[in-house]
Amino acid sequence: MTKTIYVLALSILFLSACKNDKKPSESSEAPAQEMHMEEAGGHDHGGHDHDASIGESSSKEDRTITATTEKNSATSEIIDGYLQLKNALADDSQDDAAKAGTAILTAFSNFDMTKLTDAQHKEYMEIVENAKEQAEHIVKSPIDHQREHFEVLSNDVNDLIALLGTDKTLYETFCPMYNNKKGAIWLSETDEIKNPFLGSKMLTCGKVQKQIN
Amino acid sequence: MKVFKKIIIFLLIAFVGIQFIPTTRNESTEILKTDFAQHFDVPQDIQSLLKKSCYDCHSNNTSYPWYNKFQPVSWMLQNHVNNGKKELNFSEFGAYSNRKQKSKLKSIISQIRDDEMPLFSYTIIHGDAKLSESDKNLIMAWLTKLRDDL
Repeated sequence: MTKTIYVLALSILFLSACKNDKKPSESSEAPAQEMHMEEAGGHDHGGHDHDASIGESSSKEDRTITATTEKNSATSEIIDGYLQLKNALADDSQDDAAKAGTAILTAFSNFDMTKLTDAQHKEYMEIVENAKEQAEHIVKSPIDHQREHFEVLSNDVNDLIALLGTDKTLYETFCPMYNNKKGAIWLSETDEIKNPFLGSKMLTCGKVQKQIN
Repeated sequence: MKVFKKIIIFLLIAFVGIQFIPTTRNESTEILKTDFAQHFDVPQDIQSLLKKSCYDCHSNNTSYPWYNKFQPVSWMLQNHVNNGKKELNFSEFGAYSNRKQKSKLKSIISQIRDDEMPLFSYTIIHGDAKLSESDKNLIMAWLTKLRDDL
């Protein structure tokens, strides 16, 4: 009987040792995957070189993206997810906002990056990395945090539209109150004001400052 | 009684056994060019607050407590540090895209403001890592300015 105990103890030791061995190899796979993604996006070289300035401006200092007026439906699923989130927050619904966060994550993974030009690709990757992180937090956070992440996400989606275009008509709306009166923007499918940052507390605060399409 | 003794022996052997399982320590003497303090012009007082309260879990260099020599504490801390670094790594902050730097700064500020960071489970052991109200205000004001200038 004592023998069995020793054997058991030893086998636990070996088992856990094996588990530990696996970890480094798992984590080393992640960067490799990222590399593949970048390659996949880089395949399309077709004569869009005039867009190169967009990629350039994404370097450190100044990065205002020259807005495109292209009617692009590829961004629609992402924008739909974003608008779903915006409406959930305007309705003060943490639950629906979390669901919209998941929809946004799905939309990003469905996005076909092979259609991007080299110049668009780098900027797109930066936007997506950041936007996905916001969406992940939105899925699991209380509503005031969801709103903070929504603020960052709004800028990301706005930049994404400037970069790739959309075939939707959207309104860029400004809320001067939010964020310690620093203000923040959101995008809406209508020019009727329903403030997603403040919800029912101040639903009609804000004004349209730009129309897209 | 006999069974009880056997269970004790078993647990003892298992405890001794797991001590031999190696864990990688998150330690690096090299200060990367991408380190927050190298990348930005960080005032001394701010940097020492960040070092004391954040860097253990959010950089490539953890200063470990003595009990980290024992399993399973060592595993737990390793896991904890890995998660922390994935979310935010001050050693690599300079390599983040401008967009990511901005949103990370925003998150840092709001987590400090709401007392979510440093974690309670961390400050309960590391009393000196706890940020006082004036520490918090100092850090938040400086980070906000940094973010606005980016």
